[in-house]
Amino acid sequence: MTGRKKSAADLAAHLFLALLAVALTFPFLWMLMGAFKDNLEVVAMPPRLLPSSWNFDNFSKIEGYFPLYRFFANSALVAVATTLLQLAICTMAAYVFAKIAFKGRQSVFILFLTTMMIPAQVTLVPLFILFSRTDLIDTYAGLILPGIFSAYGTFLLRQSIITIPNELMEAAFIDGASYYRVFFSVIVPLVKPTLSALSIFAFMSSWNNFLWPLIVVNSKELMTLPLGLSKLQGQWSTEWNLLMAGNVVSFVPIFIVFLFAQRYFIKGITMTGIK
Amino acid sequence: MVGQRKWSRRTAAIVFLTPALLCLLAFQLLPMVSSILISFTDWDLLTHWTKMNFIGWDNYAQVFREEKSYTAIRNVFVFLLGYLPSIVVLGTLLAVMLNRPIRGVKVYRAAVFVPVITSWVAVSIVWRWLLNGQSGLINYLLSQVGIQGPIWLQDDFWAMIAIILVTLWKDIGFVSIILLAGLQDISEDYYEAAELDGASPWSKLWRITVPLLSPTLYFVVTISLINSFQLFDQVLIMTNGGPAGATSTIVEQVYRNAFQFNKMGFAAAQSWVLLLIIFVSTLVLQQVQRRWVVYDR
Amino acid sequence: MRTKSGALLLLGTTIVLSACGADKENNTASPSAASPQSSSTASATGSATAAPSDSPAPSAKDPVTLKLMTYTASGQEQTLKAMIDAFQAANADIKVDYEVVPYADYTTKLNTLLAGGSAPDLFEVGYENFLTYAAKDQLLDLTPSIAADSSFKPDVYKKLAYDAFNYNGKQMGVTESFSDVVLFYNKDLFDAEGLAYPDASWTWKEELTAAQKLTDAKKGIWGTYAPIQFYEFYKTIAQNGGGVWSADGKPTLNSPANVEALQWMIDKASKYKVSPPLNDDTFNQPDADLNAFVNGKLAMARFGIWNFAKFSEAKFNWDIALEPGNTQKAHHFFADGLVAAKTTKNADAAWRFMKFFTSAPEAVSKRIEAGWSIPAVTDPAVMDAYYKQKPPESKQVVTDALDSLVLPPVGPKPEKWGEFTAAVGEELDKAKLGRSSAQEALDAAQKRVEALVK
Repeated sequence: MTGRKKSAADLAAHLFLALLAVALTFPFLWMLMGAFKDNLEVVAMPPRLLPSSWNFDNFSKIEGYFPLYRFFANSALVAVATTLLQLAICTMAAYVFAKIAFKGRQSVFILFLTTMMIPAQVTLVPLFILFSRTDLIDTYAGLILPGIFSAYGTFLLRQSIITIPNELMEAAFIDGASYYRVFFSVIVPLVKPTLSALSIFAFMSSWNNFLWPLIVVNSKELMTLPLGLSKLQGQWSTEWNLLMAGNVVSFVPIFIVFLFAQRYFIKGITMTGIK
Repeated sequence: MVGQRKWSRRTAAIVFLTPALLCLLAFQLLPMVSSILISFTDWDLLTHWTKMNFIGWDNYAQVFREEKSYTAIRNVFVFLLGYLPSIVVLGTLLAVMLNRPIRGVKVYRAAVFVPVITSWVAVSIVWRWLLNGQSGLINYLLSQVGIQGPIWLQDDFWAMIAIILVTLWKDIGFVSIILLAGLQDISEDYYEAAELDGASPWSKLWRITVPLLSPTLYFVVTISLINSFQLFDQVLIMTNGGPAGATSTIVEQVYRNAFQFNKMGFAAAQSWVLLLIIFVSTLVLQQVQRRWVVYDR
Repeated sequence: MRTKSGALLLLGTTIVLSACGADKENNTASPSAASPQSSSTASATGSATAAPSDSPAPSAKDPVTLKLMTYTASGQEQTLKAMIDAFQAANADIKVDYEVVPYADYTTKLNTLLAGGSAPDLFEVGYENFLTYAAKDQLLDLTPSIAADSSFKPDVYKKLAYDAFNYNGKQMGVTESFSDVVLFYNKDLFDAEGLAYPDASWTWKEELTAAQKLTDAKKGIWGTYAPIQFYEFYKTIAQNGGGVWSADGKPTLNSPANVEALQWMIDKASKYKVSPPLNDDTFNQPDADLNAFVNGKLAMARFGIWNFAKFSEAKFNWDIALEPGNTQKAHHFFADGLVAAKTTKNADAAWRFMKFFTSAPEAVSKRIEAGWSIPAVTDPAVMDAYYKQKPPESKQVVTDALDSLVLPPVGPKPEKWGEFTAAVGEELDKAKLGRSSAQEALDAAQKRVEALVK
């Protein structure tokens, strides 16, 4: 009886989830198919999902329009460097906020959190002036530096590190370990799932960032993919097939990163004990 | 020994915190303080930054005088009204389903998260295509069931609804995964005890799941609230604040005033008013959560 | 496990270090090494400001680098590059680095660069924005360079276009190209109905009569089309004797002539049904109206002359004519100019490039060949090449239209241009959506603009 009820409920869950998963991922399928259609088929009525023939013209066409591989490599370099540095800096800070007490720590932590509330559009210009005064414009460092710290990331990691029992640390101290030793041998291994969750967010926001690269980079050698996408959109406002090809190129890498990191993802978020 | 420990604790705190503090100072606090200063000037962004004039509280007075400010606030509240309840209810429902130990649930979990990882720059274009009144897929599908779809993004009534729906599509994965994490924290014992008492699934949801999930729900509501107030990217690309200002939002106006209307000082004042609104709303939320959020288990 | 995370951090640091290293390499490897370049710029500045009359060309050994930022070259990068190559070949002492920024992001980027004091030496501005940058003292006054340049005659440019970039008696830019908007028509559709082609004598009345005959709802063919937005509005009211500003700079948005003109714009769709319905958002998509014309779905439409190349693929005969007006003729006139930043350290080199880029026959011919835009030069040898390019048959209309041009109505406060156009545009939206009548929309616009220029 309960078994049958359970399997009926499971079936309902399957139906619900499958329906929703299709609804949520369908635009990507449509985008992918659009990238292989020609300019007539892409607006054909009634619409067809599959292209009548698979052609890669759209991709070679956008490749001729901006140096796709160069932009791609720049995006990857900037995103990887930003992610690694952000993970390092935030984990270190979170370690202090969670486990190393000092006077005024709470105030400093609140200061960190308030920076989450201000829209980036308004700090953009002062930040740019700072970078222009320090000659960081049009450099990789200029692209990477503003993203290497995240209050949000620090917050998530602190929540996660707090759940690590103090006894574990104490035991290490008794063995003669220093705070640095404890950081590398106790803290970092235990928050790995949270790090993997955070790495998705960090990579994602760097990979998709548009406004900052727009103003901080002038030479083509340093430009990132979102700038290329915006060029495409500026040039072909309704050539959906070309625009979709550009979208596919920018989507696939981040999708791959996600596939690798998502295994730890939910565990990582659970560990932050958001409450 | 203890003194040495204390000393090493202090140096450790300094060593581990310094990189973050330096970044915070340079990339966040310095620009923030500058933007406060700018909000009291007539800076137009065109003149060199050393040549701006201080004009006192004028910009702030103007924010409250301008009709457009109220349009933006009204639009953001319309958005909140449609978005917040839907994302919480749908997100919870989806999280409960994703928490069932059924086969392939991991695939579902990954699938619902896919819209979250993409950029608004990319997906806004996809949606502009899908929502096109004449050649868009959405209206084609509606016409197959006998509904004449609206001209979504060009209609001052439907444009905001379209923005809400598309934002729900993009955010639901994030919200439901966070809520799922909260659900997995709830011990099975509660449900087993309730089952012994013969509780219905409905009463289990209301008496166990929702109360025990309430801390996570509170977090989700706070984050969604802050994001809603900062509504910008999708609006800029999909409707450009139009038609007739129907989707104009606070941050959209900040952007326009700063970079297109030569009113950087005014834009800075607007964003500090926005910050105040966000701050007050989160405080109110915090008061509310004291009443109904259950912390002890 | 410990070593693994250690390695991760190490990897991160290495990547960043190598990134910074690569960047330093870039700087030193560039043809003009940092120190000689700055010394040459110093000398160039000295000569340009102190004694512009006898400024010697900097020695060929250490070229100065000019930075150029453009939006009109979007899609024409190859042409731009060819023009710059031609310049560099003739001027070995100057190197030009260009950057093409899409129009939607151009102002954001340019203004931020100006604010940070790191503007490019040369950049483009449209006439309507030029006044703002000039008024805000952002542009280099070219008058000294022009006076010193004995080989330069202002009459290489069309006077009108050249003078557009004169601000309070100072020449602060040169016109790079100009364009206007005319009536395009599908000859085949006119022939099928046995109608006479539009000519200079046409008014709105003749346009409507013809459009009613040409409209074929069953085939999805519309008689005539013009969008309802700010730019179309200020021209259409001029065709009815109206205007946005009074002679003394007061807004006159809700004048009877303006209301009548806006009503006409709306009526074409909603009353006479010779234009696509206003809720047809296919026509509100960018370029959709152009595509409709190419596909033979529009008999008449008002388009910019920069679309000639796009229409060459049309499978029917088409031509252009002067726009019909009501009480008088009026045509858009747009001019894009090249200006130098006031902060440039290479005023002299900047002027040499500007002159070459906008008027040298070998440069502007490339512009014409590629169908990029029309240079505002007077040299008949160069312009002949443009007029010879067909279609359209009646290319002379492009110049005829200039006899009745309307400039963008910048008004008494140039720096409010963006806000002003957005405010009026919003009220026009409301009229288009039927949320307010033409009168109500323009009354509201009048109130908003009054507050803006107060």
